[in-house]
Amino acid sequence: MDIIVYGIINSVSLALMALGFALIYGISRVANFAHGALYVISGFMVWSFLNTAGLNYFFSILAAMVVVGVVGALIYQFVLIRVRGMPVSEIIASYAIGLAILEGFRWWGFKGMTYTLPVFVEGGMQVMQVSVDIHRILVVVIGGAIVGVLWLFTHYTRIGLALRGMAQDERAAMMLGIDSDRMAVVSMAFGAMLAGIAAVLLLPLGNITVDAGYNVLILAIAVCVVGGLGSWMGAVLASFLIGFAQILTEVYWGAQYQMVVALLAIILTLVLRPSGIFGRQKALEERV
Amino acid sequence: MLEARDMMVFYENMVGLNNVSLSCDVNRIVGVFGANSAGKSTLMYVLSGIMLDIRKKELMAGGERISVFGSITYFGQDITNLKPSQRARKGIVLCPERRRIFTESSVLENLKIGGYQAPKARFRETLDYVFSLFPDLGKLKKRTGGFLSGGEQQMLAIGRALMAQPTFLLLDEPLLGLSPRIQANLMRATKDICETRGISVIITEQYARPVLPIVDYAYILENGSAVLEGSGQEMMNNEDVRAAYFGM
Repeated sequence: MDIIVYGIINSVSLALMALGFALIYGISRVANFAHGALYVISGFMVWSFLNTAGLNYFFSILAAMVVVGVVGALIYQFVLIRVRGMPVSEIIASYAIGLAILEGFRWWGFKGMTYTLPVFVEGGMQVMQVSVDIHRILVVVIGGAIVGVLWLFTHYTRIGLALRGMAQDERAAMMLGIDSDRMAVVSMAFGAMLAGIAAVLLLPLGNITVDAGYNVLILAIAVCVVGGLGSWMGAVLASFLIGFAQILTEVYWGAQYQMVVALLAIILTLVLRPSGIFGRQKALEERV
Repeated sequence: MLEARDMMVFYENMVGLNNVSLSCDVNRIVGVFGANSAGKSTLMYVLSGIMLDIRKKELMAGGERISVFGSITYFGQDITNLKPSQRARKGIVLCPERRRIFTESSVLENLKIGGYQAPKARFRETLDYVFSLFPDLGKLKKRTGGFLSGGEQQMLAIGRALMAQPTFLLLDEPLLGLSPRIQANLMRATKDICETRGISVIITEQYARPVLPIVDYAYILENGSAVLEGSGQEMMNNEDVRAAYFGM
């Protein structure tokens, strides 16, 4: 029972971490290696709005989301747009930004136990005879809701459909009047906000540290590689696979092997099925 | 009125288009015929602005050096440097070679994405028109784009372009690899698009025979140059043209 309950919690957390990365890659084909930095920034911003500016919790979160969305958009508009279409340069550029942000925080003396966010709701409850704190249940509920909202958004709204069109064939989308750079900025802002949402939901369970940024990036990449880069449903499925694998390792071997699972998953996927679970389907190739 | 004047395109040192001028009036169907690598698609990319994007991407990636000269005017306004999405908003919509439909989205979603820039009322009305033009698509609304047959994909590609509310519709090799029956069907649809919607169509093809009866004016491209132009009837009557391009 423990394994199932905590497996689900862990899987949803992973999905939350990975969705922003998957969204940006899926739409603009930019592998956003600044993802982890955006995650830490949003956590830190909520903390400072809360403790330095003295806003209430809800408004701190809202403000942090807006700011991190703008930061994401600015990263695209001023940096990534110049190296668009060159995958290696995109990775180097975005990783450099992420590195600068994270190491900047470290240099600035950002470490220790002092930086924590409060949980949304104190207390715990019993789920299937397992005691779980309410915040973790909220993570699962909100995480599920976000996946649902994202699905509805990409299937039924004008912008969402345009984003999906661009993800499939950028030039064909341009021919229909969809501005690809503007859409990429939008996707970057959304992706950054998703990183922010993940941070707000997950950071109260621990401390805000610089290393969390690197861990989140690795986990997000693992989930996206296993699920098939660019596939959102694949990412969700893969987070359940890796999530449960992690919990099982934790129970049977030890918590220190958790990160090994993610990295092993990347290697295994690349060896066995490089396109991931839901990589581009060959059955859907053009027909003449 | 869409007018391209003295278009020159070079891929590195190779000539893609050599001094081609083309004009298309409102409510006309113009044909552009030529063999492989005659410059048909290059011309379409130039008119729709996709060439600017190709050039930009090649430049950034350090690939092929593409140079474009000449000017394009649209109702007297210079649009030579407008991005493809801006041109589409003005009403120049390209239905590309090899269709390039969104293979992972359903038929209806493809059309919805096509209607990105359409106002709400026009959107509904155009959707109905597309389904009346291609009744087959109406039966396949939920089908994933990649699972359609070639002919259905081409209908979808044209429908999707129509959803973008074109004034000038550019059809790049719409008959490629399709059966004669579907070719005839598509040409009937093209004529209908021009006549009932007042949309001008510029259509390129290698094999002119199915297209020629519906065009008002035609150009023939050869190695990037426009070697001949004239009304559809004049083309039909020219012995050399008939032998070389129409297989008659």
